[in-house]
This record gives sequence, structure tokens and C-alpha cells, in this order.
Amino acid sequence: MNALQIKKKIGARALRSRIGKVQIPVALGMTVVWMLLFDAFRLRPETLGIAVLGFGVSVLIMMVFPLPPIVPGFRFWPLRGPYMVLYILGQMFVASLQVSSWVLRPGPPKSSVVAVRMRTESDLIMVCVAIATSIIPGSVIVEASQPERILYVHVLGAQNEEEAVEAKKGIYVLEERIARGIGTRENIAELEAALATERRNT
Amino acid sequence: MSDQIVQIMDWAGILCILAGALLSFIAGIGLVRFPDLLSRMHAASKPQVLGLLLVLVGIGFRLLPAEATGIFSLGTLLLVGLFQVVTVPVAGHIVARVGYRTGRIRHDLVSTDELAERLATRRSAPDTSEDTVS
Repeated sequence: MNALQIKKKIGARALRSRIGKVQIPVALGMTVVWMLLFDAFRLRPETLGIAVLGFGVSVLIMMVFPLPPIVPGFRFWPLRGPYMVLYILGQMFVASLQVSSWVLRPGPPKSSVVAVRMRTESDLIMVCVAIATSIIPGSVIVEASQPERILYVHVLGAQNEEEAVEAKKGIYVLEERIARGIGTRENIAELEAALATERRNT
Repeated sequence: MSDQIVQIMDWAGILCILAGALLSFIAGIGLVRFPDLLSRMHAASKPQVLGLLLVLVGIGFRLLPAEATGIFSLGTLLLVGLFQVVTVPVAGHIVARVGYRTGRIRHDLVSTDELAERLATRRSAPDTSEDTVS
């Protein structure tokens, strides 16, 4: 009897710690995906049921496969955020044309691998920069060093030192846009401090 | 919706799909023409992402007037685009990393290589912590 009670207590504690792992915003995002998959945004009798079921499934997934929370989080800046998205889309267009011209030109293209040190401390921004660089044609991440915050980027078409430096500058601009678009106040402060020291050095 | 707007959207959709198909075609040519793994990665994964997005936008333009329940199809298109954008970098990174580490790149085509310098200094000083580049 006593052993059973202890077992129950341990079970309850484990369950509570698992429930603590559930992140509500992420669960809400997963619910939206679930609702898109099941056509729940058309008003019909099942809509509420699908939403509740989707939320239940996402909470269950996060209890079975718990993930560490996103530290230090992010915030979406209403003007800079959409500007960031547009900037990345624009870069995708320009760079697509560039890569297409490399494809159609005779002879194999030269390339470079450059190391880019992030100026912000946030893992999330580093991941976003990595995703954006990967989506933009002409650059792909070869290595990422998380403790030193360095991304190694392979740039297609950078034939010499100057063009490699040019490509590096492009990635710095991308980081700045992303940090200003979805970074926290601390991230933006770090970025501005780095920019200020750069300006002093040049 | 009036007939004229539907027609304009039809044409916009057709143009988007054609542009997307053209980009994917160029990506295919690049895949055949480029000499080594890393530059092939650029051709295979990149113009094709924009190509796919353009095709999705084109399909969206065509579906919007045709269907009463446009939200479902548009939501599905949105999901396709979102997952493509999120998953392509992961696959691309893993392939590029493995290719680089196993030496499947042509060093005569690489002009500056800061990662090779870095790996060389690490090899000459092996007592630094092992997983800094991991």
C-alpha cells in the first residue's frame, strides 16, 4: 500500500515536470498547422473540435518529446520584421539570377569558404541567419561552430579575396536585418555595440 | 469576382508557373554542368526553392477565383512552401558538411578557404577541446 502511494507520488511528479516542458506558443503554432491540414479554417460544425484535438495532440507531442525552451526568446518588430522578410525574398531573386548566370556561363565557377563571426549572442538569430543564408542561392553553410558563434559559408562565384570579403559583408547585413527584425532588445543592443566598434576601427 | 480580374490572375499565375519551371530547369542544367559537390549543391537546392515558391504562387493565383473554399488550398500551399524553406537548409548543411569533411571538393576551384586554415591549425594543436567545431 505504502509502496504504491510512493510510486503514485513519483509518477505525479514526473508528469508535472513533463507538463512544465510544454511551451504554449509553440503548441499554438502546431495547432495552426494541424488546422491547416484538416481544413478547419472554413466555418463548419467540426471546427472547434479540430482545434481542441490539435491542441491536445501538440501538448502530447511536447510531453513525449520534450525540447529545451528557446532562450532568450524573440520578439517580432512590426516594421522591421516584414522588412526582413522582403529583404530575404529580394535577395533570393537577385541571387537566383546570379546563380543562373553562373550555370549558363562556360567553364567551372570558382568559389570560396569564408568564416563569419556572429555579432549577437542569441542561438536563435544564429539559426535564422544560417537558414536565410542557405535559402539565398549562391551560399551554403559548411560548418557551424556554436560555442564560438562562427558560421563557415561556401560562396559560389567568389573568385578572389575581395569578392570573398564582399560576400562576408552580405552575410553581416543579413544578420543585422534579422536581429533588427526578430531580435530582443538585448540582441539589438549587442549588434549596435559591435557596429559602433567597427565604425571606430575603420 | 469580375471576369477581367479572373483573367488577369490567370495570366499572372501562368507567368509565375513558367518562371518557376524555368528556374528549376536551370537548376537541372547546373546539376549536370558543375564540377564538384559543393557547387552542385548550389544548383540543386537553390534556384529550385525559388522555383517551387513561384510555382506555388502561380497555383495560388489559379485556385483563388476557381474555388469557393480557397482557404484550404491556399493553406496547403503555404504549408508546402514553409516546410520546404525550413527543411532545405538542414539537408543542404548536412550534405555540404559531409562532402567537405570527406574531401569531395576540388580545392583548385576554391580561392579562399578559411575553414581549411582553421582545421589545419586545429590538427597541429590537438590539445584544444575536441568539439569546438562540431
